[in-house]
Amino acid sequence: MQGIITNYFETGAIILFGVGFVTLLLHNNLIKKIIGMNIMDTAIFLFFISKGYIEGREAPIVKEINATKEGFVNPLPTGLMLTGIVVAVSMTAFALALTIKLYEKYGTIELNEIMKMRSD
Amino acid sequence: MIIKSFPLLTIIFLFITSFTMPLFKKDVISKRLSFITLSISSVISLISVIYIKFNGEIYYRVGHWDAPWGIELHVGIIEGIIGLVFTSVATLAIWYSMFSLERSMKERIGFYYLLINILIGSLLGIVYTNDLFNAFVFIEVSTIAACGIVVIKNKKENIKAALKYLILSILGSGLVLMGIAFIYSITGNLNMTFIHNELIKIHGQYQSTVLITLVLFTIGLGVKSAMFPLHTWLPDAHSNSPASASAILSGLVLKAYVFLLIKILFRVFGLEIISQYPLLDLILILGSAGMIMGSVLAILQRNIKRVIAYSSVAQMGYIFYGIGLGNELGLAMAIYHIIGHALTKSTLFLSVGSIIEQTGNHKLTDLRGVGKEMPVTLSIFTIGAFSMVGIPILPGFISKWYFALASIEAGKLLYLGVILASSLLNALYYFPIVINSFFGEENLKGRVYMSKNKPLKELVPVLVLTLLVFLIGIFNKGIIDAIRLDLF
Repeated sequence: MQGIITNYFETGAIILFGVGFVTLLLHNNLIKKIIGMNIMDTAIFLFFISKGYIEGREAPIVKEINATKEGFVNPLPTGLMLTGIVVAVSMTAFALALTIKLYEKYGTIELNEIMKMRSD
Repeated sequence: MIIKSFPLLTIIFLFITSFTMPLFKKDVISKRLSFITLSISSVISLISVIYIKFNGEIYYRVGHWDAPWGIELHVGIIEGIIGLVFTSVATLAIWYSMFSLERSMKERIGFYYLLINILIGSLLGIVYTNDLFNAFVFIEVSTIAACGIVVIKNKKENIKAALKYLILSILGSGLVLMGIAFIYSITGNLNMTFIHNELIKIHGQYQSTVLITLVLFTIGLGVKSAMFPLHTWLPDAHSNSPASASAILSGLVLKAYVFLLIKILFRVFGLEIISQYPLLDLILILGSAGMIMGSVLAILQRNIKRVIAYSSVAQMGYIFYGIGLGNELGLAMAIYHIIGHALTKSTLFLSVGSIIEQTGNHKLTDLRGVGKEMPVTLSIFTIGAFSMVGIPILPGFISKWYFALASIEAGKLLYLGVILASSLLNALYYFPIVINSFFGEENLKGRVYMSKNKPLKELVPVLVLTLLVFLIGIFNKGIIDAIRLDLF
């Protein structure tokens, strides 16, 4: 219990991940699915960045010449998540584009209705 | 030494040429460009395999940054062989598509070749990389490219199939990224070698984290490589795309993810760590379920392309079965089966593609007696089918034989029954197709011999693939020994 409270960033991230995952998996509406995917990805970004954050330290922008690694947070997770955000954005864009196409062809974005059409 | 940079060179070469294709107005140019670049890549891959054979594995630092900070590529003999198979199968599939793509789709031909080049480049990236986050980025690139190839025909079913594929793939890559986050938080590294060294020291303290990470990776990559209960996207996606795309999607894309899973399980974690958890047993059970259920579902299908797509589920089951056995021979055979199945399945898809193209039928009942009309194509299909069922000399038989030996070695005798049952089920849906198309009085009535045969020059790539299937089967000893020597 103590661990959950001290690591509240990670706890929040995992809860968000669960919310996003369930939304992505169980909702029939495609837009909600895509929102769920975004929540899931954001949760992972939060988790990653909280891993690099160290209480009371600054962003790694070196002003003095003789600066040591003390006093700075870990910049690597932040850098990785920049890539992650780019990937998530392109995935979202692609999924939305496909959803528009699907709506043009089927006239609905509810997956269960689309699945029913196939059996006809 | 320039050969050391060849693996990176193939990836970059394919990426750069793919984005020059939209600059040309004529589709013919992008077609030729794609074929030429892929053939050059396969020659380069062949050279690097030969180099690795004599000089040992390649570690390549991208941008000359040392290992824990920079991205590193690791190409051993296994990665080299798989890269060679990927590029050569892709070359042959593109060669085939040069004659036939216009017949199945009218527009967006330039984009098709653009996506194929990106897809093959990113798959090679997944195979070669030694960095987990880099692997994730390549996974996402290949997912978008693969979904793009599924949707390229712009028909109702294609859009539905692509969206289904995309949503499940996003789910899978989310799980993989979460797994990477967990593993980074306990080891502080992204390089596979460094993570392994770190995990050996600390895995005792973080047992539950390691277990969660393993499950995340297995399910995440399992979705993408059609592990049995997560395969639902596969038949739609693979049966609706053009023949050459089906061959690449089914023969190569699934294999890259399963190979990454092998790398993560056995190189990042290592057998000592994963054997503490019941994970391998789970993979074994799911693999066996896939072997049986994939074939059962294939029997129920009426469309010939869906039959072959479901057969992919069963064949992926074999690979997971080999991983799940957890001994050296099983793992080596899983990798051999990756190679064998990549070649066999693309042969099957290309031959079926030409049958559908010439006759216009894709229902199994309409294809009776087609063997008289197109004997060469059907013979190629028969060879592929024989390999799937497990007729000696062909790679399917070799894998089944050694899988059986490996399960005896692992003391899992009960699972021999699964291999046997799966082979019989395979025979149950491949043999009727072959028999009905070649034999039977009523089937052959009114059919004119060789009337719908494809011109021989269009069949050359498929014939080369068939030859490769035979070669992989005949030289199995050398390939398996090479794989076993380099096993993690």
